[in-house]
Amino acid sequence: MTASNPGGLLGSATGAGFAKGSQEPGPPGLERSIARVLTIGTYASIGLIAVGVVLMLADGIGPLSNGPAFDATRLVPDLAALRPAGFLWLGLIAAVATPAARVLASLIGYARRGEREMAIVASLILVVIALSVALARSLEG
Amino acid sequence: MIDGLLMIGAGFGAGLFGSLLGLGGGTLIVPILTLGFGLPLIKAVGVSLVCVIVTSGAASGVYLERRVANLRLGMTLELFTAVGALVGGLVAFLLPERLLEVLFGALLIYVAVTMARRREPARAAGDDAAPDDSVDSVEPEDPAAVADGSLAARLSGPGYRVHRIGFGAVGSVGAGVVSALLGIGGGLVKVPVMHVVMGVPLRVATATSNLMMGITASAGAVIYLLRGGIDPYVAGPTAIGVFIGASIGSRAAHRIDLRILRGLFVAILLYTAWQMLQRAIA
Repeated sequence: MTASNPGGLLGSATGAGFAKGSQEPGPPGLERSIARVLTIGTYASIGLIAVGVVLMLADGIGPLSNGPAFDATRLVPDLAALRPAGFLWLGLIAAVATPAARVLASLIGYARRGEREMAIVASLILVVIALSVALARSLEG
Repeated sequence: MIDGLLMIGAGFGAGLFGSLLGLGGGTLIVPILTLGFGLPLIKAVGVSLVCVIVTSGAASGVYLERRVANLRLGMTLELFTAVGALVGGLVAFLLPERLLEVLFGALLIYVAVTMARRREPARAAGDDAAPDDSVDSVEPEDPAAVADGSLAARLSGPGYRVHRIGFGAVGSVGAGVVSALLGIGGGLVKVPVMHVVMGVPLRVATATSNLMMGITASAGAVIYLLRGGIDPYVAGPTAIGVFIGASIGSRAAHRIDLRILRGLFVAILLYTAWQMLQRAIA
């Protein structure tokens, strides 16, 4: 919105330009897209976890019966067999990945807007997340 | 079956009261899972991080839609919280469980004292982690409203200017470490840093902190997940309970007189801290 029309509001760091922004309906595209990613990701993960919990309760599995560790190769067979662990793990992975998806959406949005600085920040956040995965895997076991 | 329902109920209670009192679920989930269900602290922290992610995800969507959170500031600071969470997540597996219990006991005492001294509900400084219908709209940061080309100006929003970004970055690293070590969102650190040190309005700081919680908790949760620190049979029921409880609590918070509830909660937090410290010493 205002990024495409900066001249008119320059010199207004204390909110004078803010009135103009507030006349525009709804949040800017990027914020709206990111909000959508977060909402969809959160509800999708909660939905998957809820299915897993229902299956878990139906199978009489107690929460303190030591669930299986995450194993990517077991995910599809567990889902196909309607085993609770498959849905639970997929939901948990989706939950943990949703914030990173939000950052990825921000990266794309900022890159499209030509905001290189913010695109670099988003990239660095994703690098830190990737580093977390790499370090955790290297220390696994 | 009964244990599963109990865990959903425990998560619901933690989400509901955490949301009513502005604490988020994390502060309550860890003691419930360790003291109530006998889980090792490291596994309780992993589950708590998942709960922080799901509740903050829904809330952040609302804050962004309502233009309350400062996306640029949040993303810049969460780079540092993510680094802190990476360090905290790795360190958590190296520290003795007793030390973590002592740290968590100290955290509970700090939260109880902060809550006892506060006149209004703790939403502003806590891990507010659920959609909040009471949030008024604040315009988002606006690059066109920036007077100069400095980083501080670019991260500022309408009506306020961000200061001391270096302090904010250091505080964010600290918030990330605490989050990954103890399974909380880190709002207890981030909100005061943004509001008091950086000059961000409280409401914007709270919403921005909530946005940052997702990535902060995610960077730590990834480590717990891949190192066997998250049990799906515990995380599933707890996350569902926390999510429902936090959603209901955030909608009911402004309709309930929280003074008595807050007083009761301070007592519960202090008792829980005592139990946690006793467990560490025993």
